[in-house]
Amino acid sequence: MSPDGQVGGGRAVASNNLYTAILALAVGAVAATAFFVVFMCHHQYGVYLKIP
Amino acid sequence: MSTLTKILILLLTVSSFILCGIVVTYVGTADNYRQKYDDLRADRDSLSKKVKSLNKQVNEKIDQAKQLEDKLNSEMTAMRVEIGEVQGQLKDAEREKAGLLQKVNSWASIVEDFSETNDKQGQLLKNTLEELNEVQAEQIKQRTQLDETTVALVEKMAIIETLEAEKRRLLEERTDLQSRLDEYLRPFGKAAVAAVPVTPDRAAARPAPMPIPAVKDIGLEGLVTAVDMKNSMAGISLGKVDGVKEGMKFHVTRGDEFLCDIVIIDVDAEEAVGVLDLVQQQPRIGDNVSTGL
Repeated sequence: MSPDGQVGGGRAVASNNLYTAILALAVGAVAATAFFVVFMCHHQYGVYLKIP
Repeated sequence: MSTLTKILILLLTVSSFILCGIVVTYVGTADNYRQKYDDLRADRDSLSKKVKSLNKQVNEKIDQAKQLEDKLNSEMTAMRVEIGEVQGQLKDAEREKAGLLQKVNSWASIVEDFSETNDKQGQLLKNTLEELNEVQAEQIKQRTQLDETTVALVEKMAIIETLEAEKRRLLEERTDLQSRLDEYLRPFGKAAVAAVPVTPDRAAARPAPMPIPAVKDIGLEGLVTAVDMKNSMAGISLGKVDGVKEGMKFHVTRGDEFLCDIVIIDVDAEEAVGVLDLVQQQPRIGDNVSTGL
């Protein structure tokens, strides 16, 4: 796996694993935040994304 | 991968962390409005219940207040009537008080006068007691003198009785001697001369003759109350209140018979004492005495 990445056979291949990990962390943070928000809504109001 | 892509990846990641942090912080510290709503609604319901109960209590209190007001109004009416009566009684009492005060003032003046009179009477009584003490002392002294005089009189009376007995005995002896002398001289035709006593007889002691006032016009009449023939004295039932004075002469009679005279020598309020004079018969208690025959 080279740092510049390569595209071969129509399958996406990460050109740089470091930045892929950073993006994964960002996505995980967003997902955790969304899960936390949904949990809090359900815990406090009993609904997810609706005005009770 | 180009540099721009890398930079964009980093910026995206950093911004994602920042925004996620902000969101988590906001959501974590956000208020639970549902809980607040439930609490507020429960408070509202409880307050509504309280308001209802309080309204009910207020209504009950209002009813009680009305009843109490009616009762107090009736009591006030009765009290007004009673106040009117009490004011009338107060006026009567004030009138009575004024009268009583007037009486008290008059009684106070009377008591003051009575106190002054009492003081005077007390002083007079004290003076009278002092005089009485003096008189009692004088009476004791006179009684002592009277006792002494009585003792002396008794002794004198005893001596007089002795002398009278001696006189009787001498008279009997003289009579005997006279009879014997007459018998002795009779054969010779002589008689003895009556003996003349060496010491002439003295009359009994009596008060000096006093001028006799004209008493016939008075016309007093009484009774003999006491007789003392030993001392030739008698008491009568007339005194100063009847007009008897010392020196007056009363005639003692029994029926139509004249007995003697009484010359008054001492007069009391309702009786008098006198010396017997011109004794014809011995007077007795109950005989009549009068100033005129």
